[in-house]
Amino acid sequence: MATYKIQIDDEVRDATVEEAAQIEERQAEAEAQADAAEAKAAAKKAVLLKLGLSNEEAAALLG
Amino acid sequence: MATTPYPFVAGAVLTASQLNSTFNIPTTTKTASYTLTAADAGTRIYMNSGSATTITVNTSIFAASDVVEIFNIGVGVTTITAGTATVSSAGPLAVPQYGSGRLTFTAAGASIYTPTAVTTTSSGLTLISTTTVGTTVASVTVTGAFSSTYDNYKVTYSGGVASTAVDLQMILGATTTNYYYGFGYLPYGGSLASVTVNNGSSWAYAGGANTALTYLNCDIFRPFATDETLIASVGGNASNGNFGGGYLNNTTSYTAFTITPSSGTLTGGTIRVYGYQNS
Repeated sequence: MATYKIQIDDEVRDATVEEAAQIEERQAEAEAQADAAEAKAAAKKAVLLKLGLSNEEAAALLG
Repeated sequence: MATTPYPFVAGAVLTASQLNSTFNIPTTTKTASYTLTAADAGTRIYMNSGSATTITVNTSIFAASDVVEIFNIGVGVTTITAGTATVSSAGPLAVPQYGSGRLTFTAAGASIYTPTAVTTTSSGLTLISTTTVGTTVASVTVTGAFSSTYDNYKVTYSGGVASTAVDLQMILGATTTNYYYGFGYLPYGGSLASVTVNNGSSWAYAGGANTALTYLNCDIFRPFATDETLIASVGGNASNGNFGGGYLNNTTSYTAFTITPSSGTLTGGTIRVYGYQNS
């Protein structure tokens, strides 16, 4: 597990094992969400490409 | 009550006690509204009434440079009132209990009131804490941020940098479940995109940062209260404008929060916490 520095108010110290695990858990979740958002955007782009529409045209179509 | 031989006159002989008493300002106490007289020059007036009172200032009673001190020791507010003389002031003319001020005459018919203690009006937003972020830290916790004093808070983080382009996540206390958040962002010249957090481990898009800046601008609603906490955020960077809102689905009372970059570290900048005045 990587080492992290954490700050509590004005004190900076090394993270404990548990704290480091929490940081990595949240970072992994963020990465998964970013991947999901990227996949969603790619899927949207693929559909628009298939339909031959721009983002603006699709937005106008959907009202 | 000690009294001075003021005003001194030519040929007067000062006794030791009179000389010592020059350090004591003659005082009188009024228990009802009062109109100043010439004998009040150089004295201190204590107002002591349970009801509102006035001190009326008339012209041709005093001379330029005459001074009257006014203290209010009663519950009722005393108001310095212009009778036939003018009373100018940069502050309030109302003297609350334990407030005081000095009335200085610039002419027989003109005076200036300078309050030395007034009741201040609470501002809408009060700075609660300032935290300077250290170097290459993976998270920053601010304790003592929330209390019973305020229902709602504003949290800002600016002036720092991140080791890479990241989102800034926020959690309350040590809670890492039950966060819900909807986030929309508008790339400049692009179209609206969105992402949501559905029972996540943090408010994952509370702010953002990159190697040039940090931005976090959140309103936190009722974090200390034992009901659900709401969040609303708005921000922007070099690539998009964004906004979000959500809530934390529990009834825990919180006093602290933690900001964590979605990857890498943060360096520098200032986290400020403000309380919204309840009334």
